[in-house]
Amino acid sequence: MGKTIIEKILSKASKKDVSASTDRMAGDRVWADLDLVAMRDFGGPNAILEYKNSFDERPVFDGNKVAITFDLHIPARNEKVAQNQKICRDFSAKMKTRLFDVNTGIGQHILFENGLVRPWDVIIGTDSHMNLLGAFGSFASGVGTTDITAALTYGKLWFKVPETIKIVIDGNLNESVYPKDIILHILKNIRTDGAIYKAVEFTGEAVEKMSLAGRITLTSMVTELSGKVGFIEPDDKILRFVHERTNTDIKGINADSDARYEKVFHYDISDLKPQIACPHSPDNVKDVKEVEGRPIDQSFIGSCTNGRYEDLKIAAEILRGKKSKVRLIIVPATMEVAKEALKNGLYDIFLDAGGVITNPGCALCTTGHPGILAPSEVMVSTSNRNFIGKLGKGAEVYLASPATAAASAIEGRITNPREV
Amino acid sequence: MVLKGRVWKFGDDIDTDQIYPGKYLPLTDKEEIARHAMEGVPEAEEFMRNVKDRDIMVAGKNFGCGSSREHAPVSIKGRGIVLIIAESFARIFYRNCINTALFILECEDAKKIKQGDEIEVDIETGEIKNLTTKERYKAQPISGLEMEIMKSGGLIEYLKKREEK
Ligand code: SF4
Repeated sequence: MGKTIIEKILSKASKKDVSASTDRMAGDRVWADLDLVAMRDFGGPNAILEYKNSFDERPVFDGNKVAITFDLHIPARNEKVAQNQKICRDFSAKMKTRLFDVNTGIGQHILFENGLVRPWDVIIGTDSHMNLLGAFGSFASGVGTTDITAALTYGKLWFKVPETIKIVIDGNLNESVYPKDIILHILKNIRTDGAIYKAVEFTGEAVEKMSLAGRITLTSMVTELSGKVGFIEPDDKILRFVHERTNTDIKGINADSDARYEKVFHYDISDLKPQIACPHSPDNVKDVKEVEGRPIDQSFIGSCTNGRYEDLKIAAEILRGKKSKVRLIIVPATMEVAKEALKNGLYDIFLDAGGVITNPGCALCTTGHPGILAPSEVMVSTSNRNFIGKLGKGAEVYLASPATAAASAIEGRITNPREV
Repeated sequence: MVLKGRVWKFGDDIDTDQIYPGKYLPLTDKEEIARHAMEGVPEAEEFMRNVKDRDIMVAGKNFGCGSSREHAPVSIKGRGIVLIIAESFARIFYRNCINTALFILECEDAKKIKQGDEIEVDIETGEIKNLTTKERYKAQPISGLEMEIMKSGGLIEYLKKREEK
């Protein structure tokens, strides 16, 4: 029988397990060999302390396959955070792992920019949005402290092979409509419990046309659908990107035509209008038109969902020569993105518009970062979650595309990007 | 393995912030962690005062949703709860329970079980007997691998044992 992408990856990754027959299908349990174990400044320190408790000074399974990234509280904002980061740096030096310090950016983005992510890879990490790496045809999953601790020693981890939901997206995007609008529309339709434990495969002509940045926007928000991972078959441009970064021969991955799917959804997005997720759930989605005019206090452009160069460029085109009426915070996903934005004049546009550009990282995706809101304040954000209290008690967060966030900043109220 | 105990009942979508409020995340001592189990639910006071060893927790849909923190199952287990039955669990919470050896079962009929009921559960077969109402329910049995991990005392213990063999 044909296999889905996740069935292929986990069949291959569990080959070494002696008790394994080669074919692993949805519902099976596997011990998969890991290609990469990633930790960040949040979650990482706990795992390291637990590692010390359980295994003392024992070396990790392979320091080259362990990466520590700093993306949350960077540079350290208080002593506790500084201490935690030191725990990570000390452990990395001792165990000879890879380390990406406070000057790099958001973890998953750093991993793929540095050639640590390939199709077929099995990757675990401490962030809930690891799964966006499915845009490269790799299986990446957010896990808990004990998982990381065990993985650091044994280099493998147990998984239940998930069922797969296929989402076919056809049609051409209208002007001012972006991949973020598509995934918000899907969230509206299948809700935040639409893919519990499931893998999701996105296909269709609209997906094929998408750049890497757009694909990442789609796959990152599989977390909000409660899914395990979101895959897009890597095409030539993705394979070329991975090849350039890894300097190795890369083999693509695709689902078999007779693979079994739990459900298949079809969307034609030709008539889709700009979408926005209203407080306090990512699936509380409306047309921007419906909430237009709602005054805002702040606009944030960035995060692992919409922090690529291309996202910043979309915002910059709208902001060019204009002024923001509200606090406008722009955060490139990584230093590589920041440099490209600087080189191409985006920083000038943002600064002239009255924006604040901070160092690359997760920024306003979670509390504890500069830019937090006061009670009753309202923000339009390009991030992925708008749960109650996540960015300040009593604050309201609307999730939208970089275009909608930029247009809303200029008007000081929620604004359809077509109208600016 | 048959577990028998009194039920603590909770609703749908109990998130990890209700199970274990974020402000206690810096704690590392297991006893201290246990002191804050379920501190964010409305029934917290009653639970804290009266929960006893071998009690069983029953909840609705999507138990353990929200940010992933292992303190959540660790705190519940630390209060003496041996088993959680829910209609469904959030993915990472489910994993964390197995890895930290807190028994869990998914059961569609979970809502029929009431606060204070005495129930008897065969965790291998998923048979649940409600000794208070005389009803019977069927939970989805846990797979062999997950059961082995839980019975070993958690993921690390399981792997250490395998290594010794
Ligand atoms: S931007 Fe937010 S969701 Fe993305 S990796 Fe950072 S903290 Fe996680």
